[in-house]
Amino acid sequence: MVAEAPKVPGRSYQLSLWARLNNNRDILGLFFMLPAAVILLLFLTYPLGLGVYLSMTDSRIGGVGNFIWFENFEWLYGDRVFWLAVFNTLLYTIAASIIKFALGLWLALILNHHLPFKAFIRAIVLLPWIVPTVLSAIAFWWLFDSQYSIISWALQKMGIIDQYIDFLGDPDNARASVIAANIWRGIPFVAITLLAGLQTISVSLHEAATLDGATPWQRFRHITLPMLTPIIAVVMTFSVLFTFTDFQLIYVLTRGGPLNATHLMATLSFQRAIPGTQLGEGAAIATAMIPFLITAILFSYFGLQNRKWQHGGRDD
Amino acid sequence: MTDAVSSDKAVHDEGGMAYLTSLPRKVVTIYIPLAIFIFVLLFPFYWMTVVAIKPDGELIEQGANPFWVDNPTLDHIRHLLFETSYPHWLWNTMLVATVSTFLSLFCAVLAAYAIERLRYTGSRYVGMGIFLAYLVPPSILFIPLSIMVQAYGVRDTPLALILTYPTFLIPFSTWLLMGYFRSIPYELEECALIDGASRLQILTKITLPLAVPGLISAGIFAFTLSWNEFIYALTFIDASENKTVPVAIVTELVTGDIYAWGSLMAGALLGSLPVAILYSFFVDHYVSSMTGAVKE
Amino acid sequence: MSNFTRRNVLKTGAGLAATGALASKGLIRPAFAQDMSFTPEDGASLRVLRWSKFVQGDEDLFLQNVAKFTEMTGVQVQVDNESWEDVRPKAAVAANVGSGPDIIFGWYDDPHQYPDKLVDLTDLCDYLGGKYGGWFDAAQTYGMRDGRWIGMPWGASGNCLVYRKSWAEEAGFSEWPSDTEGLLEVMRAMSANGHPPGFALGNAVGDGNTWTHWALWSHGGKMVDENNTVVLNSPETIAALNYVKQMYETFIPGTISWLDPNNNRAFLSGQISLTANGISVFYAAKNSDDPAIREMADDIYHANMPIGPVGTHSELHLFTQAMVFNYTQYPNACKEFLRFIMEWDQYQPWQAAAEGYICHPLQAYDENPIWTADVRNTPYRDCIRNMLYNGYSGSLGYASAAAMADYIVVNMFAEAASGAKSPEDAAADAHRRAERYYRI
Repeated sequence: MVAEAPKVPGRSYQLSLWARLNNNRDILGLFFMLPAAVILLLFLTYPLGLGVYLSMTDSRIGGVGNFIWFENFEWLYGDRVFWLAVFNTLLYTIAASIIKFALGLWLALILNHHLPFKAFIRAIVLLPWIVPTVLSAIAFWWLFDSQYSIISWALQKMGIIDQYIDFLGDPDNARASVIAANIWRGIPFVAITLLAGLQTISVSLHEAATLDGATPWQRFRHITLPMLTPIIAVVMTFSVLFTFTDFQLIYVLTRGGPLNATHLMATLSFQRAIPGTQLGEGAAIATAMIPFLITAILFSYFGLQNRKWQHGGRDD
Repeated sequence: MTDAVSSDKAVHDEGGMAYLTSLPRKVVTIYIPLAIFIFVLLFPFYWMTVVAIKPDGELIEQGANPFWVDNPTLDHIRHLLFETSYPHWLWNTMLVATVSTFLSLFCAVLAAYAIERLRYTGSRYVGMGIFLAYLVPPSILFIPLSIMVQAYGVRDTPLALILTYPTFLIPFSTWLLMGYFRSIPYELEECALIDGASRLQILTKITLPLAVPGLISAGIFAFTLSWNEFIYALTFIDASENKTVPVAIVTELVTGDIYAWGSLMAGALLGSLPVAILYSFFVDHYVSSMTGAVKE
Repeated sequence: MSNFTRRNVLKTGAGLAATGALASKGLIRPAFAQDMSFTPEDGASLRVLRWSKFVQGDEDLFLQNVAKFTEMTGVQVQVDNESWEDVRPKAAVAANVGSGPDIIFGWYDDPHQYPDKLVDLTDLCDYLGGKYGGWFDAAQTYGMRDGRWIGMPWGASGNCLVYRKSWAEEAGFSEWPSDTEGLLEVMRAMSANGHPPGFALGNAVGDGNTWTHWALWSHGGKMVDENNTVVLNSPETIAALNYVKQMYETFIPGTISWLDPNNNRAFLSGQISLTANGISVFYAAKNSDDPAIREMADDIYHANMPIGPVGTHSELHLFTQAMVFNYTQYPNACKEFLRFIMEWDQYQPWQAAAEGYICHPLQAYDENPIWTADVRNTPYRDCIRNMLYNGYSGSLGYASAAAMADYIVVNMFAEAASGAKSPEDAAADAHRRAERYYRI
């Protein structure tokens, strides 16, 4: 492609401007796309197709599967544990995403002030997000232990509780605990990215609005929020996706227990496919995640597309 | 929502009207919530540190104050550094993360430039496709991938990870760089085109220097994702000497049902240090390039 | 197990001879047993994947034996370790993709999931069985398929009751009970004294599966019958569920989320008086750098899982066996390696160094002095003798492995014990789940 490119200007004087651009754009585009395309087609698209194919076979580890159409999905349809995992995944994703967004936005608004040691504070706020999840999950495993929890210890010393909290032993507590650990890990990403968005909002807009007598709430509602919407859409898409496909946290903390109350689709897929050797069924669970992922992505895609109306003075 | 309101008022303070709010008010609306956030976000790290320097006896002692260490010990760290292959695992992780990051950035820069600036036929759909590619969770891909990694004969080598990590690094980096390129005024390139510069010259001489913050943040992002990756490393690597830190810690520091808690925590802490240092230097680049990615 | 081939008869004869010789003189080699060996291929080198050590002594002696083997044969052996829970997926992927380590030490019914990917080890296992008093029944079931050996049993990490003797005595039990009813009484009494027991009921690969299967089988319940028909929803199963429900009432809170390490930690900190576990608790206490915990070691005692209404031992243990994959270029070197490490001269010191963690699959190895060196080790000696096999009483294969991997039995007990479901509903539900795996 290095050899190709310099030809462009030479020919540009003989051809019409548009023909020149179009011809070369396509050829150049192809060359520019080549490295990424090769890797993605080879290591992503092909295995993805293979995975979908596997979901329609009765493959087991070590054996070649027969094509059985949708039998795996029919089985899953009647499987209580699968539906529990779907429920858990949705609950986990929705609850964690909403709270991550709310707390992340709040933290971003706080960080958008003149604070002492600003750069330092931002750096340490990002820590939870950059530490490998398996490793922080091990710390949380201690924090949520039914006998050693430092949280229970502190609350007991303060006289708030008399019995240690059974964080991971009770299905509802366990769900709340893993969601809390996920939120802890996710807040920094949301906050720092939204902070980036906040910094693009011109201060003069706020000043003008204040002069016009706008209340703080009105300014937040009509200046900050609309200006932030595109980046919110992006952040939330990623946040939802990270959460939806989460695996490591659950794998370390609960293995899907107690009573499968924290099994996510990803962990159930792993459990059935690898330790359980039912490759086809595992692939079917993984494939069943795809419609949810597509829904999430379309949602945010249109959110991004529609941002023009936000500048068109829509009020509510 | 009241918090948002008051914080928003504080945003306003930045505009030079700080005299409107009193200091006590600022303490309540900013410093106290900030302190709580920082406490919660950092507490697990404090906890890791405490466990990493606690002698085994104190670790499981019931009566002792869990927040404090009576007889701090460096035993766990010594064990980690000198009696396990931890330094080697760190090196592996560093190698895999660095190479796959550079490989991904190379591919992503070209792809993002082509999609955003060349605007070739169908580039919109390709852009969309790249975005979609990021949504494919590794948990779907790792079985078919392990067969392929095998077929190419790179199983149990760092190359297995270097080749597969770009599947999630390229899409994100491309997407982020597309946003960043969009924020660079097109007029600069038009002028260069008219002056007869080639596309590649434009990319390397004009666009890339302007996109350095975007490159840095994409690089940091990619580096972190590689550093944290778990499932592929667990599946494709067998030999102890080829493992990465996250996998090695949970597979090599566990003896049956007894966990080397102190060393686990020490390993988790030390394993986070390289990325933490990287971040503290480049956090502003990261923030500003996220800004670029969403600007019109 | 009643295929009387010539080999089996020979084996039994040799076994009797071996035990006789051992008993009388402490000698291990029966006079007439022909030593067998395999000639490694020229230029052979091996890669071995094993689960990472439970104790340092295990790894040290294992590597020492490997070095001895290399010295003798010139075959280089590279040993990789993998956390014990991660070996199964690794082995399955290796079988699936047709390459990986030459030998993998896997778990339970691993070989039965990909029997056609494995090298036939019949000559090796017949030889070892013949020389060392025969394989225990369950070891033979695990290792054999259709009359040939596809895995070489290596041992089991036994799971016994681990209890605090002083607290049992304080509760009025100077003699540890040997039946299920007695066990329940001790548990109640100790719990009433403020020393509750605690057994793992979370999705714990090791501790969760082993003791719940014992509970099921000891009451006569089982997942499938001899024809692989699911018979889980039975009065026996419900009796077992009711029994564990009563046990659970005496437990410390939190057990339904416990994974493998939780009970160790709770026991060592004096929070629980009794659990089901490997010897690791005792080992950790004995070797602790904390004097208070070392002192506790003197109070830790072990007992085999008690006998229930079925009247015989019915335990499940974390059973490990070696598989040689047929993609290996050096099958004879593999067999020679396995033969070498299984021989008394190598196995005995290795097993001794593992300090009771590993129970042997060959009957003659009962004589290893490690089992009588400390009275606390003795119960772990009989683990494979007392063992049934996963998927009892059906056949081994992907269904038995998948049912265990999906924690059907563990979940059933956890649901019934915690009151999330009535025992009847829990059994019916688990029955349905089991049918999914045994449908084909």
